[in-house]
Amino acid sequence: MPRRTIFTILFAWLCCAAPAFAAAGGHDPLPAHAEEIFRLGPFVITNSMLMVWIVAAFIILVAQAATRKLSLIPSGLQNFVEWLVESLYNFLEGILGKHLVKRTFWFFGTIFVLILFTNWFGLIPGVGTLGWQLTGPGVEAHDKFRPWLRGGNADLNMTAAMSFTFALLWFYWAISENGLKGFLAHIFAPKGKFSGAMAVGMLVVFAFVGVLEIVSILFRPVALSFRLYGNIFAGENILENMMFVVGDTKWLAWLPPLPFYFLELLVGLIQALVFMLLTAVFLKLICDHGDHHDDEHDHAH
Amino acid sequence: MTPIFDLLASAPPVEADGGVAGEILRAFKIDWPYFISQCVSFLIVAILLKKFAFGPIQAMLEQRRNRIAEGEAKLKQIEQQLAESERTTAAAIAKANEDAARLINEAKTSAAALSEQKAQEAIASAQQILAKAEAAAAAERAAIKAELKAEFGRLVTATTAQVTGKVLTSDDQARINKEALASVEA
Repeated sequence: MPRRTIFTILFAWLCCAAPAFAAAGGHDPLPAHAEEIFRLGPFVITNSMLMVWIVAAFIILVAQAATRKLSLIPSGLQNFVEWLVESLYNFLEGILGKHLVKRTFWFFGTIFVLILFTNWFGLIPGVGTLGWQLTGPGVEAHDKFRPWLRGGNADLNMTAAMSFTFALLWFYWAISENGLKGFLAHIFAPKGKFSGAMAVGMLVVFAFVGVLEIVSILFRPVALSFRLYGNIFAGENILENMMFVVGDTKWLAWLPPLPFYFLELLVGLIQALVFMLLTAVFLKLICDHGDHHDDEHDHAH
Repeated sequence: MTPIFDLLASAPPVEADGGVAGEILRAFKIDWPYFISQCVSFLIVAILLKKFAFGPIQAMLEQRRNRIAEGEAKLKQIEQQLAESERTTAAAIAKANEDAARLINEAKTSAAALSEQKAQEAIASAQQILAKAEAAAAAERAAIKAELKAEFGRLVTATTAQVTGKVLTSDDQARINKEALASVEA
């Protein structure tokens, strides 16, 4: 049997068996929120935040390793990283255009790579299962276990932080690209040429459409947050629940989640892509000077 | 066995304030300290990734893109130069061929003229040499003839003097010489 196959099977077994054994030790069900590890002044450091930092450190290390010894003809890690970033850049350039992608790639690139690797890192055995037991008075029976790490995007605060940061940047980019007048005109002004009573009617209609548009814009971060969080948290729940399918046959608990690990790898990629695509499209729609305004609602929903 | 139900069961009870939104916020622990902390954390991570991950890679890609663009521009320039050079070379070759043909023609004409001139000169020179040789031969022959005549006269005179046994005068000698020569020449 090839060595690579053996390692793959071993990894898959570890992915499933470690949580199974951890579960056998008895810990709390997966909570819907991240948990506090410690406080740093006014800031709360949660287990999902630690996960995001670990992923960020990993990405930075890989990027630094790839760019340490640059060669004209890339190979190995440099080649892979260049391929990843260049593909992402070209893909976003197709959506945003040359000018916008140059301004905003750092954000969309970060969003995609960070979400992707955070999702995948969340599948590593030990995440959510290694931690410590709370003791003492005031500890609730169903909330005694504190995991060190938690899937970064299985925390609504994290996904909301990304979404609202994007919302602020979206306003900044939209106004800096269109000007305040152009930005408001983009939302409220009638599209097309009308005259007479028709123009007055259209002004009223488009003012109403503009109000709907504002509501849609305000709800985007909420939709983005819940979509990503929901998918990732649901995936973690599936993996955890699948281990209990075998009942008391705990030595077999690793088997049922196995197919779902592959599914979650795919979900992690798709969700990273969806989040990045939606945010990029939202920005393109407000910065686009063509008549593609109606498409926005399709993408938003 | 089914943690999701446990989770829902463990969610804090719905309070009068906040309604459904408040319930959602509590269930998912959305509150300001957590949210602000995550925002700050995300911003730090995004800035770090921009500076240490995407920055160097994008700089590297930009450098390569510029190098490729420069290379393509240079290639275009070289192609233009090559085409220009080919045109110049072709024109130079055509001009050189034309010049060469003209020079060959001129050389041929010049060579023919020179050859004719040299031939004429050679003929003139040969004729001159021939004339000189003839003159020299004639002069030599005349000298020899004169010498022979003198010798012949001396011999005739000597012979006549021995045969006659008398001393001949100058007039005798001149007369005898003259008669002898006349008989020889006849």
